[in-house]
Amino acid sequence: MNETNPIICIENVYKYFGTLKALDNISLDVNQGEKVVIIGPSGSGKSTLLRSINRLESINQGRISVDGLDVNAPENNINAIRQELGMVFQNFNLFPHKTVLQNLTMAPMRLKKIPAAEAEKTGMSLLTKVGIPDKAHVYPAMLSGGQQQRVAIARALAMNPKIMLFDEPTSALDPEMIGEVLDVMVKLAREGMTMVVVTHEMGFAKEVADRVIFMDGGLIVEQGTPEHFFENPEHPRTKQFLSQIL
Amino acid sequence: MMKKAVSIHVGDGAAIPSKKDRGLLSAWWISFIGALAVIIYLCLTRPDPYLDILKFLPDGILVTFQVTVYSIFLALILGLITGLGRLSRNKAFNLVASTYVEIVRGIPLLVQLFYIYYALGKFSIFSDLPPLAAAVIAMAICYGAYMGEVFRAGIDSIDNGQTEAARSLGFNRFQTMFLVILPQAWRTILPPVGNEFIALLKDSSLVSILAVADILRRGREFASESFYYFEAFTMVALVYLIITLVLSKAVSHMEHKLNYYERN
Repeated sequence: MNETNPIICIENVYKYFGTLKALDNISLDVNQGEKVVIIGPSGSGKSTLLRSINRLESINQGRISVDGLDVNAPENNINAIRQELGMVFQNFNLFPHKTVLQNLTMAPMRLKKIPAAEAEKTGMSLLTKVGIPDKAHVYPAMLSGGQQQRVAIARALAMNPKIMLFDEPTSALDPEMIGEVLDVMVKLAREGMTMVVVTHEMGFAKEVADRVIFMDGGLIVEQGTPEHFFENPEHPRTKQFLSQIL
Repeated sequence: MMKKAVSIHVGDGAAIPSKKDRGLLSAWWISFIGALAVIIYLCLTRPDPYLDILKFLPDGILVTFQVTVYSIFLALILGLITGLGRLSRNKAFNLVASTYVEIVRGIPLLVQLFYIYYALGKFSIFSDLPPLAAAVIAMAICYGAYMGEVFRAGIDSIDNGQTEAARSLGFNRFQTMFLVILPQAWRTILPPVGNEFIALLKDSSLVSILAVADILRRGREFASESFYYFEAFTMVALVYLIITLVLSKAVSHMEHKLNYYERN
């Protein structure tokens, strides 16, 4: 896990919402194959940081590059960069007017010009992977939250991205559905996917993370391996947060 | 998660019947059956002049539909452009679209009709404009502005998460709008568009002033030749009523059909 080829480089990034400093001089490298879990109280800037990686949030200062390409540089095609960055949202954001399978095939067919038959084959195998091949031809509104989120993961994977970004993927789910989504994410991690995950699921962080990052007030307060982080946190703010959440 | 409650009230078309209004005792059925019954009764009991009037009107119905369909088609295109303009981050595009809406909404339709047909006739390129074309252009410009608001509200009603999901997959702005947002916005847009269509059809009676031989014009011609004013305008009103009632029912059915992915 200690390869030294960072696939995501975040250097001295600042982001303001009006006068609020959402990101305060953040620097962070993520290596190929690494699983980084970002935790922190709400409003700590963790989602903003994640969303700035694929430029869903613009930044005010600093530099973010993915696979060597500056995501904020006008000469780089952000749409091409985003194809390498799968994103999973808290609210799933499936396309309600498309069937489950169409949700998976739409982007590969339109953006990568993959023939329909091939895209559908890949789509079906991804649905099998996330455990719901039988739902291929229904609309998302027919699915439970857990099923929708698994489809959303499959949709992102259908573009064959190098990196997966997860923005609180289980926060909108009923408790009994969290497990099925985390199982898919654990499987994905085992396969070697590079993952950046914003979550409140400490069990997932312990099991999967190579590195846990604790953010508060737009700052990275502390980071380290899950062992270090959960057993010997150094910073008082981290200790306080962990005592509240565990 | 993706539904903000939006209601769009722009025009004043006939009321779109709600899905529950299926019984024979709804306002829609009473009006529809009533209008039909009155027409049949009048034509059977006094074929002269009522049946003669009814035979005289169909040419006008055709013209009314022509004006309405051409106008709504142009207005939809103008409305889509205007709606996109109103939401655009491009300041110039946004300002042009907003100014267009502001100007058109401030001038009565009848004045716009006169302006395009009579006032602009002063300039040579407009001087040979046939009345029908002038009518269609004026109605399209007017309704395009209202349609712009319908499109704007419809697009605005789609949760921003849809845009973010599409953009994060790598779709550009244009693809996101046409593949993801508009196909969903259409469900919010269609009922008011249907309403606008019906309102436009009724407003199209104004074009009779430009010597376009629509339903109203035909009725007036019949009346002024025969002096059956009461009879002619009664039939004109009943014909308009039946057309708008049928259309409002059709819009209601389409609206129901468009909800397929939330029901099945």
